Amino acid sequence: MDENDNNAIAQRRRALAEALRTNGEVVVTPTGEVEFKDEAENSDTPAISVPEGKLA
Amino acid sequence: MAFYWYESDPELYKAEVAAMRKFFPSFKINQLQDGSGRLYWRGKVQPTGPNGMVWDLMLIYKNNHPYTADGEYGGSIQILPVSPRLKDIARNLPIRPEAGLGLGLPHIYRSNFGRNEEYFICTADPKYFKAGQNRSTSAASALSWACKWIVLCEMWLNGEISDDVALEGNY
Repeated sequence: MDENDNNAIAQRRRALAEALRTNGEVVVTPTGEVEFKDEAENSDTPAISVPEGKLA
Repeated sequence: MAFYWYESDPELYKAEVAAMRKFFPSFKINQLQDGSGRLYWRGKVQPTGPNGMVWDLMLIYKNNHPYTADGEYGGSIQILPVSPRLKDIARNLPIRPEAGLGLGLPHIYRSNFGRNEEYFICTADPKYFKAGQNRSTSAASALSWACKWIVLCEMWLNGEISDDVALEGNY
């Protein structure tokens, strides 16, 4: 994996964290992977939305 | 009247099983062998993707499911990471109550489990439960909260999220 790949992964993780913080459209796939909703829509498997709200 | 929620409310039990089979089909349901009659789901998730950690989780129903007492953390379903064990992770971290990290990790609580005290994942703040302040959500919903917590935890451990941001009210 080259530096560009690592940067892209880190950037996506930051974007996901921000989406989780701001109650953005984020889902969890059957393997437990947290993804953006539009990414999961390309898959045949159902994904559950992360409910709005904050961790206790 | 049946003591256990899954006997007194079989429709709720069916709905719980259906939701888990739909969204997390690799998880299996079983009963704790401690005489409590409590049901639990167990399975593995990898919330940060193929390069992230694999977490072996137990989702344990309290016998008052789906109701929760006032101020109860995590609702009526407790999330216990079997591997990695939160107590083992926290053992290597500084305890900083003044920073909101009294147990070393953000958004966790401790409770007795069998003969041991274990650390559990705090999921939803009770004020965000869907059906009102005294009713928890389903195991599938609790697991989605847990996956959110794991993403936050792994990023915090990697230094990608600061202490201030990781704490209550932000996630």
